[in-house]
Amino acid sequence: MSPRRHLRTVLSCSAAALALVPVLSQAALYVTVIQGLGGQSEYERQFTDSRSKIEAASLTITDADKLFSFSGDAATREAILAHFKTLTARMNSDDRAAIYLVGHGSFDGDTYKFNIPGVDLTAADFKTVLDALPGRNHFLVNTSSTSGALVQALLGTDEKASNPNYVIIAATRNGIERNATQFGRFFAEALSSASADTNKNQSVSIQEAFDYAQRAVEAYFKDAGRLATEHAQLRGDGAAQFNLSRLNTLQIAAELSVADNELRTLLEQRQAINGKIEDLQLRRAELDNATYLQQLQTLILQTAQLTEQIDALQKNASNSNSNSNTDASTAPAAEGARQQ
Amino acid sequence: MKAPHTLRSATMAMGFILAAWSAGTQARDQLYGALDNTALLACETLHWSGKQSEADTCYRGLLAATTPTAIRAEAAWALGDMQGANAAFQAAVEQAPDSALVRLRWGELYMQTYQYQDAYGLFSEALERDPTNAFAHIGAAQALAQGSNSEEVNQHMAVVMEDFTSAPGARLRGLLMMVRSSLEKDQYQKARAFLDDAKALADANHFLPLEAYALEAALAFMTHQPYQQYIDAALALNPAYGDAWAIPGYFAMITRRYRESGDFYEKAVAAQPNHWEAHLELGQNYLRLNQVNPAREHINISYTGDAFNPKTINFLRLLDHFVQDMEALSYPNPPQGAFPKLTLRLAKKETPILADYARQLAEQSIDLYTKRYRFTPKEPIVVEIYPNHEDFVVRSIGMPGVGILGVTFGYLFSMDSPTAQHDPSYHWGTTLWHEMAHVFTLEASGHLVPRWFSEGVSVFEEWRTGPIPGRKIPLPVFKAMAEGKFLPIAQLDDGFMHPSYENQVIVSYMQAGLIFDYIDSEYGFDKVVDMVYRFKEGDNAVNAMETVLGISASEFDKRFKQFIDIEYGPLLSKLGVWQQDHKASFAALQDENWQDAIAAAERATFSYPDYVEIDSPYIAMARAYARLDDRDNEFKTLETFWKKGGYEPRALLTLGNHYAERNQNDDALKVYRDVLWANPFMEELHLRLGNLYLAMNRPQDALKEYHVLLALNPADKAEANLKLATAYKATGDTAKAMEYLMTTLDIAPQYRDAQKLLLELSRGGNN
Repeated sequence: MSPRRHLRTVLSCSAAALALVPVLSQAALYVTVIQGLGGQSEYERQFTDSRSKIEAASLTITDADKLFSFSGDAATREAILAHFKTLTARMNSDDRAAIYLVGHGSFDGDTYKFNIPGVDLTAADFKTVLDALPGRNHFLVNTSSTSGALVQALLGTDEKASNPNYVIIAATRNGIERNATQFGRFFAEALSSASADTNKNQSVSIQEAFDYAQRAVEAYFKDAGRLATEHAQLRGDGAAQFNLSRLNTLQIAAELSVADNELRTLLEQRQAINGKIEDLQLRRAELDNATYLQQLQTLILQTAQLTEQIDALQKNASNSNSNSNTDASTAPAAEGARQQ
Repeated sequence: MKAPHTLRSATMAMGFILAAWSAGTQARDQLYGALDNTALLACETLHWSGKQSEADTCYRGLLAATTPTAIRAEAAWALGDMQGANAAFQAAVEQAPDSALVRLRWGELYMQTYQYQDAYGLFSEALERDPTNAFAHIGAAQALAQGSNSEEVNQHMAVVMEDFTSAPGARLRGLLMMVRSSLEKDQYQKARAFLDDAKALADANHFLPLEAYALEAALAFMTHQPYQQYIDAALALNPAYGDAWAIPGYFAMITRRYRESGDFYEKAVAAQPNHWEAHLELGQNYLRLNQVNPAREHINISYTGDAFNPKTINFLRLLDHFVQDMEALSYPNPPQGAFPKLTLRLAKKETPILADYARQLAEQSIDLYTKRYRFTPKEPIVVEIYPNHEDFVVRSIGMPGVGILGVTFGYLFSMDSPTAQHDPSYHWGTTLWHEMAHVFTLEASGHLVPRWFSEGVSVFEEWRTGPIPGRKIPLPVFKAMAEGKFLPIAQLDDGFMHPSYENQVIVSYMQAGLIFDYIDSEYGFDKVVDMVYRFKEGDNAVNAMETVLGISASEFDKRFKQFIDIEYGPLLSKLGVWQQDHKASFAALQDENWQDAIAAAERATFSYPDYVEIDSPYIAMARAYARLDDRDNEFKTLETFWKKGGYEPRALLTLGNHYAERNQNDDALKVYRDVLWANPFMEELHLRLGNLYLAMNRPQDALKEYHVLLALNPADKAEANLKLATAYKATGDTAKAMEYLMTTLDIAPQYRDAQKLLLELSRGGNN
């Protein structure tokens, strides 16, 4: 099976998949990827590669009609701002927006600019876009040089300030860090990396992608024996709960492809227990450690047992599919043999 | 022939202080005729004859407003009021802007407060006003001597010393400086001659020969002669003259005879309780002997009397750091004899990572050296490992900013942790091995082993018995070799102590190491050890060599040269070609021309197969093969690199993974363990090692590695905890297994592998 076919399968199932993942994911996610000017072929290649990875990863968690990408000559200020105007009108207050800026930035001491063909996007443009989005669960990552200046323009110079409506990440601490950044490529890489998924829930959250990229940047400069010229920052709450991609799309697809009531019931039961686990973890401070761990253990045992049953049912289903496929695939051969 | 080394060893140093004229005598010096104010001279006479109380009363009498401002400044200075003296000198300069003398004396005040640049500026201003002022030239020379500009020092000295009409007091100070300099270079005959001149000059001009006596005592100490009579002579003139003890104490210190040095300084502060410099040196010396409490006591005393000394501040900060951030671990605990064999002093945050490996390596080296040097340590050996390089340097020499990696004081040595170094070639295991060899050569010889000898033995041990055996000789050394820059052994100490060209220190390290490689191969290692014991009997290196090897130093030099010609002649003839190929291999790698990189690296490794430093052509070759997805050749290249002594951690980690994939577990284990001595702070290393141990059914060893992994605060804490749970389960400790498993599931409730283990444990499974 080609990767392309895998993707189609997943996409065809993704809307249904949303029903089986935690609460936040039930809202629609609109992803916008903007690739700015590279200036040099090396950066063009790098930015294109990052954009491709972000697009592919986003399609594991949202539908194709909710993914918007701007690059090359099409990435003009006019087109991008028009897109956000349309998007704002289309979204409701439960929906979320994820905005990726991949490219170079500049800061003249006063104004941050994201470099695109023609007139650049400015910090004021991004403020207008973010302020206009309905609801309060949005995300913007700016991987450009000097991107810290955008954060300062949006949130002020207080390093703890944040906006309740969105999580924002910048590749640099401020507008003084002007060197081309490494953060973006690692952030894009994180979205499809199992090692970024530190809570093993088969999804990569904003926080996990940020942690992965931040560590990778540190290692990059250490290995190169150079002082780090960039220091990424994350502002806002809820980064750990906001998933940007899924790693087990095939599995989800497989689970959903089985129109089996028993299986569906088990999946729903497991989802309910996972919800209880999340709830328990949120209430941790109210319990003593032993009680907490005991309750956690009980719930996880339940979900583990359900997973075992689900796996067994799927295996059976897979075997029977496989048997019928085998029958199907052997039939023509037999037929062929008969023809001979 | 083995591979070049980077400059790693060049920066390893034993407890030598970079020479400074002022050491041991930061206190206000005698005037030696620089001033002629009768009232001040009367006070000076009282002061320098040890009548301190009367002298203080006398100086206080000079603080009156009627006293000339410059003399008031001198009185304030003598009473320890540095700020008052400074203000008075400033006023005096304003009153007499053309006076060279006031600027000269003001410069001397700045010398005493360690502001050498400012002092030099004032001496220069004095010389602008009086270009022949001999005292100003000597002052300028002393100020410049704190840096490294020996040419300018010599120019100022020459003005005074070559003009016999110069002020006798200035000439005397110049001669005393030359005595010190000669003693620091072990040039005892020169020191003798300068000292005789100094004493004659002092005698002819009725100067108190206090410092001359102290230097006489130092010379006697350095040449193993009785010295007490000279100290007594100085004390007879001035019973409160602490320098009578402190000056020999300084020379004991720079020759690493720390116990004797401590004794001298103890007596210095007993004779002169306000000798702040001696208190500081005594405190530092206690630290070298691992006696932290008395060290703090004397350093505190020094600070109360002299808050200007940056060394004092540095040590006080270090001592705070000792208490707050470091911990000492002794092995075995409890001790099996009168004392533990080993004490590790580590940063608390690094203990979980380093302690076990440092202990293994230290104990291994102690056991080995005990046999090789026929010497059983009489005290615990203390190994300090610092995660902050500047803390380590301050601990070692008092001031930051020096590029050393390890310093041995005797039974105690300190060194950089791998985290203290940004240099990717830093190999902490080799540093520890090197310094431990110093412990044995120093202690077995009663701290009388010459510098070059001790360094050479340590380098030789790195190559012969260390964690990455094989000669590691860096490129500049081959260049020096080709240019015939190796020194005769009689002068080899100069290569360490007074280098005259760039890289001479590293060249000297390597030459010294090669000398012992030669002695070992030609005469046997026992002869090396025999020589160590000759030093204890008072032999110098030349005598020891003649006695033990039966040949003269010049004959030895001749034979050693033949050895070098045979060993390295062929390589030296094609060094240029090798360099071109080496460079080309990495250039091609950069340009992503994988085949060209391989071809150039093959040529380089053909002409010089043993170069296995971190920029080895083998590395370029292996990377190129990896990019071509030629795993078999990548593996073979890395295997060759490792077997020749290569230690680049990522390359070895890759090789270990190759071995593990090929089920060559024993080889994988050896390679992974080699990485520990280069960089134990790599998460992947401990994960791989733990997995390997589990595969080899060694769950206890796996546990250690997984605990280190967790201590490294890995990104994937769920995995690290699950590994620990799995390893505990393998040891049969299900309670611990469940503890780590629940930590895992708390972090990652949906972690399938952890859920499976939970099911298994809840069902009582043990597989």
